[in-house]
Amino acid sequence: MASRPTVTIIGKDGTPSGATHTIPTVFSSPIRPDIVQQVHTGMAKNKRQPYAVSEKAGHQTSAESWGTGRAVARIPRVSGGGTHRAGQAAFGNMCRSGRMFAPTKIWRKWHIKINQGQKRFATASALAASAVAPLLFARGHQISSVPEVPLVVDSAAFEGGAAAKTANALAILNAVGAKADVEKAKKSKKLRAGKGKLRGRRHRQRRGPLVVYDPEVDGKELVKGFRNLPGVETSDVYALNLLQLAPGGHLGRFIVWTSAAFKALDKIYGTTTQPSELKKDFLLPSNLVAQADLSRLINSSEIQSVLRAPKGGSLTKRAAVQKNPLRNKQVMLRFNPYHSTFVKSQLGEQKKEAGKPPKTPEGFLNILREA
Amino acid sequence: MAPTTSDQVSPDLIWEIVRGNNSFLVKRKQAGGVQFSRDPLNLTNKDSRKYAGFVNPKAIGVAPAEKGGVKIISKKESAYQKPAKAITETTFHGGKATKKIYKAVANQTAKNGYRPDLREAAVSRVSAIRRSQKEPKPTPEKKPRGAQAKKAAETS
Repeated sequence: MASRPTVTIIGKDGTPSGATHTIPTVFSSPIRPDIVQQVHTGMAKNKRQPYAVSEKAGHQTSAESWGTGRAVARIPRVSGGGTHRAGQAAFGNMCRSGRMFAPTKIWRKWHIKINQGQKRFATASALAASAVAPLLFARGHQISSVPEVPLVVDSAAFEGGAAAKTANALAILNAVGAKADVEKAKKSKKLRAGKGKLRGRRHRQRRGPLVVYDPEVDGKELVKGFRNLPGVETSDVYALNLLQLAPGGHLGRFIVWTSAAFKALDKIYGTTTQPSELKKDFLLPSNLVAQADLSRLINSSEIQSVLRAPKGGSLTKRAAVQKNPLRNKQVMLRFNPYHSTFVKSQLGEQKKEAGKPPKTPEGFLNILREA
Repeated sequence: MAPTTSDQVSPDLIWEIVRGNNSFLVKRKQAGGVQFSRDPLNLTNKDSRKYAGFVNPKAIGVAPAEKGGVKIISKKESAYQKPAKAITETTFHGGKATKKIYKAVANQTAKNGYRPDLREAAVSRVSAIRRSQKEPKPTPEKKPRGAQAKKAAETS
């Protein structure tokens, strides 16, 4: 890459503040949906609480099998008499009031260990994807009015608790073009289908923008300002979480960076050659190829200048459009050079000679008959 | 391609990432699992690499406008990472002759090497929109047949 691309820092009122910042190297990490999805499925499982059916369920009876010879199945049967329950089958998973098949246990493997290298790779990959506008559209973010992706807002807008109030925080988001996405998330709140409603997951809603800040510069008050906006989330730049960067394992979360947080990225992630300051033994993943755009490669001057001209080519030239010689005079002349004489002397318009053909002379007929 | 944050992100890569699942994609089990696209920059509403307007740096969209007009939206290649500046709109009012709109749309799509491959689709979408904006012809009255016809003949 000859010159590192830069990003404009947007001011509080949504206009460019004039300042720019080079895009941190983490944004050119390889975008690997396979790794992100795998890490996401693992991480999403790490917040689960164990559940199981009661150890005793289905076994609180003293049923015994009747054995063979009584013309009933050999399943254990409830002993005694005087009630309908006596003689009913018990214990089996096929029985009414029996235990379930393979009763769930609290010692199921609830949590998944994910290698730290993979987690870091996935985070870097998700960050890189968050800077590609088509991927944001594909995730469903409403970013048509966003001036630039990645969207970096000047930290001055958040200075001194300027976004501590939700009204002010919303005003900043509206000014930088994130209004449509906030509105979409707000309006998307729907009742969940199914039993999840009873299990603490009553509503489902879209995710809006993720505001990433640097607590040392921007302070932490903005968290309180943004927390009552449905769908809008905040994250400390030093503690980015894949579950927020790629919700559902889908790349391309719309991120609103504060300029301080954006600047901190270089320090946090380092480059592909320079290790990160904060993460031990971490180099950003490098790309397998320096230029992945095939059409740009093919059309580059380096390749075009060493290409040979195509050999051969078609030997016969054919007209692109086959013209009708009966309508087009030039084409007809090419086919039939006599055509001009034919037309000029009006041979085609001469009438057929009138009258019958002359009779055969009598002398000739006589000769024939003689033979 | 337009300057992106990285040389690594080509439209082809983006397409491979989003082709299975994206916000514009509509999958239905009917008719052998049809796949359509809700992308405003998609000329055929089919989910395909060629017509995926949100992936391509250059794309054309055609939509109906007010009073029988047609609105053409196109993407600016240089503003690939600047969504607010990326879309250019042109509106042809309903009074303009359809043939002239065809000509203008064809030129906008194919001239200067913008997207010559989309010309036919763009023009046919204009055509379909213009046809849909016409007032439908009133259905002719039904002629009486059979017993009804006899009855009608008797009364007259």
